Amino acid sequence: MPWEVIIFYLIAATSIAAAAGMVIARNPVHSAVFLVICFIQVAAVFVMLGAEFLAVIQIIVYTGAILVLLLFVLMLVDPDDLPEFHLGRPIQRAVGAILGLILLLEVAVAVVTRTITGRQGSATLENIELVGGNTQALGRVIYTNYLLAFEVVSLVLTIGILGAIVLALPERLGLPGYVRKDTISLAHPRGTDRALPAGTAAPSGAAAAGLAVSQPAGIGRRLVFARDPDEQPVTGGGRKQ
Amino acid sequence: MELTVDHFLGLSAALFIIGLMGVLMRRNVLIIFLCVELMVAAVSISFAAFARETNTLDGQSFALFAIAVAAAEAAVGLALILALSRRVHSVDIDDFRTLHD
Repeated sequence: MPWEVIIFYLIAATSIAAAAGMVIARNPVHSAVFLVICFIQVAAVFVMLGAEFLAVIQIIVYTGAILVLLLFVLMLVDPDDLPEFHLGRPIQRAVGAILGLILLLEVAVAVVTRTITGRQGSATLENIELVGGNTQALGRVIYTNYLLAFEVVSLVLTIGILGAIVLALPERLGLPGYVRKDTISLAHPRGTDRALPAGTAAPSGAAAAGLAVSQPAGIGRRLVFARDPDEQPVTGGGRKQ
Repeated sequence: MELTVDHFLGLSAALFIIGLMGVLMRRNVLIIFLCVELMVAAVSISFAAFARETNTLDGQSFALFAIAVAAAEAAVGLALILALSRRVHSVDIDDFRTLHD
């Protein structure tokens, strides 16, 4: 049995095991780490298919940016809000498992009895080497045939980033009657703003220092935030900065 | 045994099905999002396999665009989940019923 087949089966087994671990893991951070392992195997599969640029992009962008972003968002979720995994909904899990198995049988039949093949092109491995490698060949194809798609994708990314910033931003400051309910630091269960002692001179002192002090949030912690990044928030009770 | 395209298609199908079962079976919305990303990656493998079989690069460029669009989708989707979970104070997908109610 040639080495390629052995290595392929090794990579395939690892990626399937990592994907199964991701679905089964109870802790969501474990799921994200399993998915990182799976994506690195997928990048190895891309290298085996001669798509080296895609493999590197998979690791840098997909694993290194998207999953890290997801890990950060996971860290911002209060652990008390996580749904109990093993309580209830056995019907949902049974239906999911049955549907998945049915689809697996269908796709296996479709893969084994495949008769449709695409039209053969000219980008054999030798021709790709002549052009200068996978990146150069891919660049030639994208910048000639798929130029519109390339521009549209860059537009999509720009709008996506703007939309993400607008959506994740807490409500606007400065509106009359606005009470800011939580900040990123307070979304974490431990928080970084310590509760101020009640009845201190903090509001007047903070107003004198030009800071904004909001009403106490529903969770019982007073929010003090500085307008200037160099200002230290004024606290009462001798909290050390 | 020779390594054919069918091997890669089978791997892509297996990963896609595992991601699909994860979407159907899990209740944490962030895990569901992870499973959707796994499905997109499985389809990228399929595209790259077909590109190798037909000796073209169209499949690889589509997989590249799929990764880029998945990045934008991840940013917007996670921002939505953050904003929504601040109001509902939960990440259980059964609690996201504000459209229904």
